[in-house]
Amino acid sequence: MNSNNLTPGKHVVVTDFDGGEGILVDLNTKKYFQLNETAMVVWKGLEQGKTVGQIADDITGQYEIPLENATRSVERIVDNFQTYKLLSAK
Amino acid sequence: MPVDAVVVDGRPGLLWMQMSDVTFSEPFFQQTIDRVRAENPDRPERFTEFDALLQLDQILTRVEPAGFIFHSSRCGSTLLANACRCLNNSIVLSEPNPVDKLVARFITDAVDHVKESLYSVLLRAVVNALGQREVGEQRLFIKFACCSISQLERIRRIWPQVPWIFLYRHPIETIVSNVLNLPAWLVDDDHRILAYITGTSPAEVAEMSIEELCARSIGSFFSTADTLANDNSMLLNYNQLSLPAICDILKFFNVPPSADELERIASGTRIYSKQVLAAREFEPDADAKQKLATDHVREVAERWAMQPYARLELTNHELK
Repeated sequence: MNSNNLTPGKHVVVTDFDGGEGILVDLNTKKYFQLNETAMVVWKGLEQGKTVGQIADDITGQYEIPLENATRSVERIVDNFQTYKLLSAK
Repeated sequence: MPVDAVVVDGRPGLLWMQMSDVTFSEPFFQQTIDRVRAENPDRPERFTEFDALLQLDQILTRVEPAGFIFHSSRCGSTLLANACRCLNNSIVLSEPNPVDKLVARFITDAVDHVKESLYSVLLRAVVNALGQREVGEQRLFIKFACCSISQLERIRRIWPQVPWIFLYRHPIETIVSNVLNLPAWLVDDDHRILAYITGTSPAEVAEMSIEELCARSIGSFFSTADTLANDNSMLLNYNQLSLPAICDILKFFNVPPSADELERIASGTRIYSKQVLAAREFEPDADAKQKLATDHVREVAERWAMQPYARLELTNHELK
């Protein structure tokens, strides 16, 4: 699946917590996932329909890290979301 | 509304009841639930796992907490909760089971950061669900069970802006009151909570006299409140409780009472605070409690609670 064609699954509930972190709940599996601040930025970016590149741009702006590193991080996080079947196609 | 946190067939979750027609008029949350069940035994109750709570949390219109009440047991906190209940458009949740049990999970089950965060999110969502906005309700007050003060740091992380008060009382009077009328928290078969609070093991808790267990617990409550007291908190000794003091607390919670509300509070404070039918008058009993103290009570109070009490008193007077 093209990672730019992904959106958070309707079966997933997200809750903000503690100034940036969050908890995801997969309603199908009843599994809970804790997201760190970066993963929450990625999740919210996907919710807003942003591409991996756009989310990486956001992270570069917020955390002053090179775009290349930010892109790698976003791709890795998106891969993890996919592994746990938390995303679906747009 | 969630009325209890339970485990059904090995699945932890919440017990829900339709409560939109119910006013929490009793001194304790559980007394209201018991009344509702007695009045209508057929009222449906439904179990859900916690994910349903988080789904609901996405869409709820809720009342944000205006103030938290913590206490060291038998020290006037129910009187204060009843005073909050006299305010117009207020919801007062006094030691609600779902909150109490989730706070306890911090002690018994938050073995790592993920679980700690999860319980924090669930606790916030439970409070949101309990504070569902009905017509006109604007103020939510929560009185926590006494053991919850041990988790104050975590609770403050969830609601950093909410002002809180800690009510306490002289250790000897507190111990005597608890020994005369044993509360559930002191005789809980699950000794993990009090082991955590007293810095001992469950086996040691099982061997302690009630007097010692109470003294060590309230000593720990005093120390926690003393350590975490800040500009967003207020400390109040039972011997300072008065109508003006209650007004000061309500002002501190940013809900100064109107003249009508004040009148209701004044008549309410003349009644024994834990009486459901409000039929027994309140009588000060500090001297009587002191006279009833045995040598053992005095000894354990001195050993485990008097120093933290003295430090807390000092902080209380410094904060003024």
